[in-house]
Amino acid sequence: MSNILSIQSVTKFYGKIRALNQVSFEVPAGSVFGVLGPNGSGKTTLLGIVMDVLKASGGRYSWFGEPPSEKQRQKIGTLLETPNFYHYLSGERNLRIAAAIKGRGTEDIPRVLEMVKLTERKDSKFSSYSLGMKQRLAIASCMLGDPQVLVFDEPTNGLDPVGIAETRETIRQLAREGKTILLASHLLDEVEKVCTHVAILQRGQLLMAGDVNEVLMNEDFVELGTGEGLQAKLQGLLAGLPGVRQVKPYDQHVQVFFEKGVMDTGELNRYCFENGITLTYLQLRKRSLESKFMELTEEKNKSGAAVAR
Amino acid sequence: MKVKNYRTFWILLAIVIVSVPGLSYMIFNIMDNSFPKAKNGKSILGSPFAFPDAWQSVSWNSTLLFILPAILIITLTTNEFTYKTHRQNIIDGWSRKQFIGVKLVEVFLLSLLSTFVVLLTVLGFGYIANKVPAGISVWQGSRFLFFYFVQALSYFTIAFLLSMLIKRSGLAIGAFLIYMLLENVVVGIFHNIYHINAMEYMPEEVTDRLIPFPYIKALLDVGRWEHLIPGYLAGAAVYLFIYCLVMARSFLRNDL
Repeated sequence: MSNILSIQSVTKFYGKIRALNQVSFEVPAGSVFGVLGPNGSGKTTLLGIVMDVLKASGGRYSWFGEPPSEKQRQKIGTLLETPNFYHYLSGERNLRIAAAIKGRGTEDIPRVLEMVKLTERKDSKFSSYSLGMKQRLAIASCMLGDPQVLVFDEPTNGLDPVGIAETRETIRQLAREGKTILLASHLLDEVEKVCTHVAILQRGQLLMAGDVNEVLMNEDFVELGTGEGLQAKLQGLLAGLPGVRQVKPYDQHVQVFFEKGVMDTGELNRYCFENGITLTYLQLRKRSLESKFMELTEEKNKSGAAVAR
Repeated sequence: MKVKNYRTFWILLAIVIVSVPGLSYMIFNIMDNSFPKAKNGKSILGSPFAFPDAWQSVSWNSTLLFILPAILIITLTTNEFTYKTHRQNIIDGWSRKQFIGVKLVEVFLLSLLSTFVVLLTVLGFGYIANKVPAGISVWQGSRFLFFYFVQALSYFTIAFLLSMLIKRSGLAIGAFLIYMLLENVVVGIFHNIYHINAMEYMPEEVTDRLIPFPYIKALLDVGRWEHLIPGYLAGAAVYLFIYCLVMARSFLRNDL
């Protein structure tokens, strides 16, 4: 079985507000699958639905190829939205309750506490924890019983930079162990560093989903600079070059986007020189997920506005 | 496990347990001291705290205290919503049915526990405070204990239902109190003034009628009451079923 989670046409209404609209994608086993989107895009709603905390208005989903049941959730470590624990119990006691519900993992408690560095405070009441500690306890709870699948909703929420880096490393480690990780975040550069697949949501709509390389495919570009006053000439020259998809001025430089497979920086350099322009600056830029995301959502906004008109 | 270390729970529980004999003892004292006694030294009201009347008296007294265990139930239930642990329990791997099931068990156990406390109180009064009159079995009248259990279960389930629907402890407690008062008022108006007998079958009233006011026997039309007991019990059962149905539909289907 290759897909851990399969989501088909899931729709969710809160009264009149459509939080999710026909969202479908598959999460392959062993992947680190990022669900991206700005706040309010429906990420947490989607995760809530597959964890049976919310009920979908339409569509279906299945875990491990089977219809949803609580037995599956016992095999998944989940951090959803906020850490939810009993305030009057200690960290360790809270973990005991979670382990009891999962049916396993009690012997794991010291290990996970150590992993998130909460061993010293394990007997303090949850209500006395700082935000970062609460988040770390939630992460520890996810790891009880060493589940094969993990679902993290904004896991770095409330953590300091050290905590964020540690969480990133933890996720990488889990991925190396072959676990499947579903990660929701609006921190695109974080996601970019760890994910193998992405799904991009905006206002409940799925903009794009798939292998992260495919989503970012064809997104590398070259940034060129030349002497003063020659910029317009450079732009004109490049616009005429076959294989060029787009030429954009950017600050002092010019950005050139190519069709797939065409770009060759050496060729480009030679072409410019042969046509009378000496480049003072040439850099190959990898398109970031963030800029792709901005582009996608801007397109959507524009087309949305067009439709509205 | 959830309540083992919850100090508030133990305090409330202790209050519940102590209040049952406490109240009955207070009433006993009041009656003993305030009402005139006839020549043989017994109060004109008879001996409501001796067997067999002890069953009815103590049970009735204790029904006045229902608000205390109700607060306990409401607190335990609304806490889950406040801390959102109801979500976490589901996420960690309980089904929604399991979650409600455990809470219903809590309600049931609390009903049993308070019934047990009433039992001990009755026996205490019966044996210790008054000697057992000759020719009367200790267990005569013990059906009132069963009626108490039914009434407790009903009240506590109502409290539980309100907690599940309202989800905030203050509001739920308020709603519980208001409903109790309101129903009494409505029943009072329609039953006593307009003589609509069907009012006896309102949710709270139907269980209240199982244990009539014990101290002035003349008020009760015993024959009629006996006749109606099965009806009251059936009514209570129907209501319990309805409460569970409403809760199940709400919790199992809605967003958490």
